[in-house]
Amino acid sequence: MDIAQLQAYGYFILTTLLVIALYGYIYHLYSKKRDVDGVDYENYSNMALKDDISDAPVSAKSHDDKEK
Amino acid sequence: MFHWLEKHPFFFAVGVFLVISFAGLIEILPNFAQASRPVIGTAPYSTLELAGRHVYIKNSCNACHSQLIRPFKSETDRYGHYSLSGEYAYDRPFLWGSKRTGPDLMRVGNYRTTDWHENHMKNPASVVPGSVMPAYRWLFTNNTDINTAFAEQLTVAQHFSVPYNQPVPMKDGTTKVVKMGSSVANANAIAIEEAKVIAADMRDQDVKDAVARGEIPEIVALIAYLNSLK
Amino acid sequence: MVNRPLEYDYTITKMFMLTTIVLGIVGMLIGVILAFQLAFPNVNLIFGEGLAEYTNFSRLRPLHTDAVIFGFTLSGIFATWYYVGQRVLKVSMAESAILMFLGKLHFWLYLVVVAAVVVSLLAGVTTSKEYAEFEWPIDIAVVLVWVIFGASIFGLIGIRREKSLYISVWYYIATFIGIAMLYLFNNMEIPTMFATSAAGESGIGSWYHSVSMYSGTNDALVQWWYGHNAVAFGFTVPIVAMIYYFLPKESGQAIYSYKLSLLSFWGLMFVYLWAGGHHLLYSTVPDWMQTMGSIFSVILILPSWGSAINMLLTMKGEWQQVAASPLIKFMILASTFYMFSTLEGPIQAIKSVNAIAHFTDWIIGHVHDGVLGWVGFMIMAALYHMAPRVFKREIYSKSLMAAQFWIQTLGVVLYFTSMWIAGITQGMMWRAHDEFGNLAYSFIDTVTVLHPYYTIRGVGGLLYLVGFLMFAYNIYKTMSARPVEEHELQNASPMGA
Repeated sequence: MDIAQLQAYGYFILTTLLVIALYGYIYHLYSKKRDVDGVDYENYSNMALKDDISDAPVSAKSHDDKEK
Repeated sequence: MFHWLEKHPFFFAVGVFLVISFAGLIEILPNFAQASRPVIGTAPYSTLELAGRHVYIKNSCNACHSQLIRPFKSETDRYGHYSLSGEYAYDRPFLWGSKRTGPDLMRVGNYRTTDWHENHMKNPASVVPGSVMPAYRWLFTNNTDINTAFAEQLTVAQHFSVPYNQPVPMKDGTTKVVKMGSSVANANAIAIEEAKVIAADMRDQDVKDAVARGEIPEIVALIAYLNSLK
Repeated sequence: MVNRPLEYDYTITKMFMLTTIVLGIVGMLIGVILAFQLAFPNVNLIFGEGLAEYTNFSRLRPLHTDAVIFGFTLSGIFATWYYVGQRVLKVSMAESAILMFLGKLHFWLYLVVVAAVVVSLLAGVTTSKEYAEFEWPIDIAVVLVWVIFGASIFGLIGIRREKSLYISVWYYIATFIGIAMLYLFNNMEIPTMFATSAAGESGIGSWYHSVSMYSGTNDALVQWWYGHNAVAFGFTVPIVAMIYYFLPKESGQAIYSYKLSLLSFWGLMFVYLWAGGHHLLYSTVPDWMQTMGSIFSVILILPSWGSAINMLLTMKGEWQQVAASPLIKFMILASTFYMFSTLEGPIQAIKSVNAIAHFTDWIIGHVHDGVLGWVGFMIMAALYHMAPRVFKREIYSKSLMAAQFWIQTLGVVLYFTSMWIAGITQGMMWRAHDEFGNLAYSFIDTVTVLHPYYTIRGVGGLLYLVGFLMFAYNIYKTMSARPVEEHELQNASPMGA
């Protein structure tokens, strides 16, 4: 198999995977509407609107959360 | 899965990287070897030509002049045969340009002479009435940096196997050897020999005197480079 | 410090706001000079024959592009990051001495690099690759600045109080990763000082000179993969980050659809990188790559418009704010120009259109309606929004701001319309043949015909520069305007007459 064929297969497979991932994401967003924490995605807009340092976070970072 | 990424910045960053590097991996990497093979008739730049190429870059000639002839009748009529990938094999960096404020220069050596370039660089509008190109008079007084060109020749010969001091096949079946100096003094001596050929066709007495003294004004190197574009 | 309530710390933001304005003036002033040099070549001698080497078009041109991209825009990105980042993560720079130190180091090192770039480009020390002109010593310094920027992004994220990352932060992260990857790969070069001659000499010639690792077609491919995506990650991604924060905040409206913003993010990331090939249509790169560049450029309309429409719909039912506030005008016009230039770009990337448009002024026009209309307007709007909050004073003059808006809008319109006409005229004249099959025009015919358009373009650019000076003056006077209370800073920015 020469390099051009490999490129073509690589291109096709990766594109297909990414398209599936993207559509999966869209389906996930619009069917669930909420993330695992039960926060409606649209509420995340409040991260910009209520951004004083004394405002309550939309979903606060708790201490038992693992970092990164 | 998706939500997990959004709350884990490190893996989010990795995800972004994978998605954006995808195009580069597929598009660019695999063709590397193939695209850099020289076509017959393409020789490496001589010391003086390479120094002239540096003058070309120093003054950003590529900001207004392309070196890429596209395969259209109007372009081949105007500039000559369309460009082939292998013709650029020794171009580091490439100088295709992105804007033609002035004409393409890919094969300018075929239809312009030393004399023409000399007058044009001194006062472009006197040769091409209506030209918006500025004059480049300092090229006649600044001296060329031959040593840097020599260092570049050594670098490309060592790292990229550019065939200096070796026979290179030409289109007419003959071969051509492009010389690279063995030492700084030798490289300068080779360059000055090349410069004398150019200076012989020039009118500017100061430039001729300088070359006779062993100095190489930038204009001489630049013209050597432009004449080599064929 | 112990007794005072915690506040956001805008020290670094203020520093970068200053460089945004100063380098903006420098970059745009050089741009105006360049524009008039093309219309009137005598302007090349603006400071006399002796300095002609440093004031002629070709020496100044890289300085213009780099001052605008890496001076004005990058400063604006840094300034807004140090502002938006703190606020949406709900954490103050004052909480971490390390981040504060990194921020200051970031700024001062950035200034050193800017100074080095100005000197080297004026001296003609350049690699000739567009927007990557710097030689290796400066490249190393650039990488250092970028690493510090990354450390400050992830450092701030590390100590955040908000668990999720706001969409703007996604875009800032993408900016960081994208530029890092592109810059590193495009600037692979070997310094020539390490070469040794047959006689054993080394350290020959200039110590700062280098030679590209790639040659010819490969070099072009990598360069335009970089060049196009430097636009993506310098002029699109971070500016989208800004508008996603500043427009909702200034108008008090939640983003029309947060979900749409998330998926247009991934769409943009995936598609953008493929589009670089459209700079090389009809060149010697393989055909399938050219086609790919063309197709993906057209697909790129979708995610770009996803963001832009999301912004416009955010103003749904609140359009009276556009009439009332010049600040919102700036942002709405910016997203309109974003839609406009992300439609224009794909059109130019269609092969048959590109055959005419490539190498002409139409491309210059496209770049400038993007940068002047979208990037410039958005960064100025961001600075206008931040100024009252970082200085705790109202914006000096609303009417000056409105006047500036209209002057600059006129400038942009003059700019891109003249460049459209110039580009298409030139493209058509280059390819015209007479009835015998000979070329109808010599090259110089296609230059002299552009004179009126070059003049109009110069005037357009000058108007934009005048507007920018008004902006600088307005921000300067804001520093001593009427102090404001905290509650005035919730949404719409306070403005004086």
